[in-house]
Amino acid sequence: MYQLTGVSKIYQKGRRTVPAVRDLDLTIGDGEWLAVQGRTGHGKTTLLQLLGGLDRPTSGIVDFDGADLAKLREAQVTRVRAVSIGFIFQTFNLVPTLSAAENVEAALIPLGIRRAERRRKVAEALDSVGLGDRARHLPGELSGGQQQRVAIARALVKEPKVLLADEPTGNLDEGTRDEIIDLLGRLWRDLGLTLVLVTHDSTVARRAQHVGIMSKGRLTVRRDVTPVAGPPVT
Amino acid sequence: MFFITYLRRELRRRLRQAIVVALGLALGIGLVITVSAAAAGVSNAQAGVLKGLYGVGTDVTVTAKPEQFNPAHGGTRIQIGPGGGRVCHGSTCKSGAQTVDNLTSPSYGPLASSTVDAVAKLRDVASVAGGLTLNDTQIKIPGSIGSGGTGTLPQPKTFGVNGVDLSRSALGPLSAGKITSGRNLARSDASSDVAVVDTNYAAAHRLKVGSTITIAKKAFKIIGLVRQPQGGSPPDAYIPLGRAQALGQGFGSKKNMDGQVNTIYVAAKSAADIPVVQKEIARLLPKATVTTSASLASQVTGSLTSADRLANDLGRWLSVLVLIAAFAVASLLTMAAVARRVREFGTLKALGWRSRRIVAQVLGESVTMGIIGGVVGVGLGIAGAAIITRIAPKLSATLASATGQRFFAAGPAGASSSSPTVDHTVLVPLHASVTAGVIALAVLLALVGGLLAGAFGSWRISQLRPATALARVE
Repeated sequence: MYQLTGVSKIYQKGRRTVPAVRDLDLTIGDGEWLAVQGRTGHGKTTLLQLLGGLDRPTSGIVDFDGADLAKLREAQVTRVRAVSIGFIFQTFNLVPTLSAAENVEAALIPLGIRRAERRRKVAEALDSVGLGDRARHLPGELSGGQQQRVAIARALVKEPKVLLADEPTGNLDEGTRDEIIDLLGRLWRDLGLTLVLVTHDSTVARRAQHVGIMSKGRLTVRRDVTPVAGPPVT
Repeated sequence: MFFITYLRRELRRRLRQAIVVALGLALGIGLVITVSAAAAGVSNAQAGVLKGLYGVGTDVTVTAKPEQFNPAHGGTRIQIGPGGGRVCHGSTCKSGAQTVDNLTSPSYGPLASSTVDAVAKLRDVASVAGGLTLNDTQIKIPGSIGSGGTGTLPQPKTFGVNGVDLSRSALGPLSAGKITSGRNLARSDASSDVAVVDTNYAAAHRLKVGSTITIAKKAFKIIGLVRQPQGGSPPDAYIPLGRAQALGQGFGSKKNMDGQVNTIYVAAKSAADIPVVQKEIARLLPKATVTTSASLASQVTGSLTSADRLANDLGRWLSVLVLIAAFAVASLLTMAAVARRVREFGTLKALGWRSRRIVAQVLGESVTMGIIGGVVGVGLGIAGAAIITRIAPKLSATLASATGQRFFAAGPAGASSSSPTVDHTVLVPLHASVTAGVIALAVLLALVGGLLAGAFGSWRISQLRPATALARVE
């Protein structure tokens, strides 16, 4: 799925250069769940953005299914995001004026799917996260956990290969956090997704197959730390 | 469909801002429409004045400069001195109380009737008519004037008389009018002392069909009353051209105006041909004055011209300024809205929305505000035009015309002479009219305003990298 080779990302802040990711090599196989932990400012989110084609590395190769995201044209990267990558954010990032169903539908717009088909997929996605009865609610009318479920439905409605989650439980209480992580674990297993999840929370990280620690832009991965949450048995 | 749902929801969320932007644009567009309507109304009023002067369909008029007054050759001189008043025609003078009634052409010099045929043969001319634009001036001179009594002449009574070419009556001032009573002049009236009188003049002098009007000391029977378009400055009486030529006081050595006209009315084949026709006539008659409606408009004075300047200069600049301000406010508010939604747009980019789709969404929102502003602006503009039409005072249009008289006065300070003119003033109602062209302009302005407002924000979105946008703290 992913093959990162010698990836660095350096930000320029005035005269100062800030290396967010340094010379990173990483392989993520199809259907793997990698949790990335680390202190704030050590490059976790930058890594996720590089994996999602939201940013380009200063150097190195971000190979995604044979295509180097660092070299693709903007339109091509946008297409990859539209088709293959789902995002979940800490602050949910739902459009406040659109209903839950419309927020989920927004992910299907770039794919040019017909309206009726979109509606069907949206209903299925909301059902899969247990919010079939909240389709017409605006984000402001939903709890934090429900909003994150809508965001998960939005990420999954297009049936992506990869789900990139940036602190998906960071804004939730413990109970809701567990619900969301259970949901993500179930979807990962049922859909055979590749899941990369950035978190501060060790409880959440422990649910992943592999755990990586980001420190000063460098990543160390411990593999197969959680055999109980393994990929679906085929 | 999703585009419209999203657009509608966003506009509803920013309802107050959308109202401010739309109202700003509406105000600017409404002002443009109102000012344009007022300007069109003033132009129509001007056109009405000119139409009344020269008739419907006349594109060009040809006249000659009035002849230099020469006491030896003609004209009427009224001399006031210690010995009393004297009226002289050429070398013949008469003293004592008397009435002077002359039909003269004080404003224009003579043109041979054959000139009309020559002009008719020009390539881009559609039709031609000749006529005599004359003034009938009547002065009652008291016997006591000068000799120990007053030295001031009574004010002359002057009215306009038009000699109509009955064989070519489709052009000229009478063609613009509508007969309201009696009948129009016919070819069979060519040698009769009959007249058609303007309704306003008739009302002011209590004339009706069957009454008589004295022109050059001859009684003319009124056979019809004619109403000229509102805002016109028409002649007061129309008589057959032949009778006007016979009774009119001649130029130079001629006693009358036989074989002469002083105005040629010309219709061009098309509006685009008017300048060409003007040039062709100027080549044919180098000494003649060739006038189009555009050049004639500059001779009109009075509040009509002031209103014209007000509408065209101040009004237009004011509209432009308000529009610029409205566009600037709309642009700034849209920029601010885009700045607040950066993270939202970053999320959409993360979902795979291309920049141009997001730009289209933002432009759609701003153009919608522009269109709403345009619709409200058209309403405001039409309302403004209606208010102007309702409350605007009538505008005055004044055209000065010479009386053809020459007064001489002798006094302790020496002798002096003057050629008085009579100001012909008409009151013109202002009808501010909103045309389809102005509405089209408003729609265009609304679209431009909307696009302009959205353009800056859209440019910013297109430059935005998703990672940067998502990192933005709201």
